[in-house]
Amino acid sequence: MTREMQLDNYLNTLRIHLGPLTLAEREEIVREIGAHVRDSAEETGAPVETVLARLGSAEELARQYRDGWLISQASRSFSPLVLLRATLRLATKGVFGMVVFFAAVFGYAMGGGLALTALVKPILPGNTGVWVENGQLASSGVLFPPPGPPAHEVLEMWYVPLALVVGSLTLLATTAVIRAALRTSQRWQARL
Amino acid sequence: MAKLRALPAEGEQPDRWEAQLRKGALEMAALASLWQGRLYGLEIIRFLESNSRLVLGEGTIYPILNRLKAEGLLSSEWVEAEAGHPRKYYQLTVAGRERLHLMAEAWTSFAGGLSRLLEPVMNKQEELK
Repeated sequence: MTREMQLDNYLNTLRIHLGPLTLAEREEIVREIGAHVRDSAEETGAPVETVLARLGSAEELARQYRDGWLISQASRSFSPLVLLRATLRLATKGVFGMVVFFAAVFGYAMGGGLALTALVKPILPGNTGVWVENGQLASSGVLFPPPGPPAHEVLEMWYVPLALVVGSLTLLATTAVIRAALRTSQRWQARL
Repeated sequence: MAKLRALPAEGEQPDRWEAQLRKGALEMAALASLWQGRLYGLEIIRFLESNSRLVLGEGTIYPILNRLKAEGLLSSEWVEAEAGHPRKYYQLTVAGRERLHLMAEAWTSFAGGLSRLLEPVMNKQEELK
């Protein structure tokens, strides 16, 4: 295989694996890596094969670009799906990522669940609420059957705005924490 | 693989720790290499090799430069070269210079504190020699 064919094969594999990036970004990366290989081969006198080996596999190189892109996109996004996808990718990289992922799942489940119970309250008013027994919190949420006396529900229809506000704040806080964690991870994801 | 697993864990730890340390410093090092002026990817790699102990895998620096550019810390332009193909040169933006300045201050203060902390350890090593 000639030197140009080897390089073309590598760059094609790289292009294919840069999938989610825009066409312009992909072509810019491919052009830059092509220039690097030519420069490195000329500078060191090494065959293209050796220079490509020093670059690492095209798949791995593309993965590093994709990870950077995914996390950079997500750190500017408010979509729970995009953020969860990025934290899932981060979770494969180490303990910090796993903690962020589980915190994200927990935060979204808590916030989303609470907001959902606010919508359920008008439909099942007797089963939804916050129950207090002897001055202490006994239970909360949507319960089948609801706690009986001496426990009693204290919020009644105030539960709806309260659960919506607390649920929304939990979702916003979760989003802010994930975005901050993703920005932090961007500075630590470089590999040697 | 079995051979690798058989290595004593405590023997691997300093290497792994050093690799983590270098990882964290790489973004700052890439920005610092551009403090004096614009460079292209291979020049940045060679600059870091000759001016610090950062020996990089050649594919490592490019995704980092791409990300720093996406963050607005670097700008880039293609320049025709005598080599017969254009090269992508990077330079610090105003935001990049400010970020690097903050990083340098934080790093210097952190490293200074740690050096003072490690002084007795290093002195002890000198005595042992």
